Amino acid sequence: MGLCGRGWRCFGVLRLPCVAAGSGPRLLCAWARGAGEPLARGGSACSQGPRAGAPHSQWAPRGPGAPGSAPRRRQAWPGLQQARGAARPNPFTRGQEQEWRRRNRTVLTYIAAAAVGMVGMSYAAVPLYRLYCQATGLGGSAVAGHDSDQIETMEPVKDGIIKVTFNADVHASLHWNFRPQQTEIYVVPGETALAFYKAKNSTDKPVIGISTYNVVPFEAGQYFNKIQCFCFEEQRLNPQEEVDMPVFFFIDPEFAEDPRMANVDLITLSYTFFEAKEGHVLPLPGYQ
Amino acid sequence: MSTAMNFGSKSFTPRPPDKGAFPLDHLGECKGFKEKFMKCLRENSFENALCRQESKEYLECRMERQLMAKEPLEKLGFKDLIDEKSEAKLKTL
Repeated sequence: MGLCGRGWRCFGVLRLPCVAAGSGPRLLCAWARGAGEPLARGGSACSQGPRAGAPHSQWAPRGPGAPGSAPRRRQAWPGLQQARGAARPNPFTRGQEQEWRRRNRTVLTYIAAAAVGMVGMSYAAVPLYRLYCQATGLGGSAVAGHDSDQIETMEPVKDGIIKVTFNADVHASLHWNFRPQQTEIYVVPGETALAFYKAKNSTDKPVIGISTYNVVPFEAGQYFNKIQCFCFEEQRLNPQEEVDMPVFFFIDPEFAEDPRMANVDLITLSYTFFEAKEGHVLPLPGYQ
Repeated sequence: MSTAMNFGSKSFTPRPPDKGAFPLDHLGECKGFKEKFMKCLRENSFENALCRQESKEYLECRMERQLMAKEPLEKLGFKDLIDEKSEAKLKTL
């Protein structure tokens, strides 16, 4: 505590010596005293004791004024009273000062290394999290990598009948009649199934649409595998043309083994069509 | 629906189909097979298991007319139907 008295400012582990003008540590001292306090006040920056309002020098006793308490503290550390003067000639304090500087540097190095480590970890977190999600299946990412061999060897689970309903939507600017050709279909996991949608271009211009799909409930969506469908690719319909759009899909047999899916017996597949062509002039309302 | 920002629940991410998209059947070449399949579904109260033969025929039609990449039907999950057919053939021979 004595070290953090007059002439020294304490910031936790950092001990910053106060020296008069001209030497390096004075800058540290100026910073230590807090922003805004001008150096020029009262001669040397650290000539006076802790000011009444200084928040940093918590260890220094806050007396009514520096001069009143100065003599007492001066006696406690006789070597420090030369702190207000020029560079200290006392080898004892110089060694201490060097040691503290070394310690400061070590601490600052550790802190800087920790900061760099944090930044590095935040960059590394992205691929690591992705790996974690793939391993544990959280976050809805694809759990089991399925491929065509799986389709060949999978066995239908005979008693897990699931009702799949179909929904069709169209974006407001797309003038197609898009609807499913069956309202529902009953499948079992592990069995490939075919379903049809129908789309009719009711305008007099060829229109290119592109669709996306959605599966409800979300957790069942990861078991819903489409072998082939009409989504994510531009589909062009000529004027007044009507086509059948098939969806060939199956539900992963692991659906039957997932305890979270035990109560799920209804899956809704919903397709939405959007206009794909850029620069296409939208028809004005009233014209069609 | 998939815009819910709660961390606990999983949101839905659409996946592209395994074998890509079906080319559109502009000329309606396989429409007959489709109608047969739909009729079968309606008669069997939309049970897929009973109409797999018709769906197999529809896909075969598509493959013949270059509307679908040719693939052995076992890879499309019709192994049981093919086994049945080969068994029936063996029996008749």
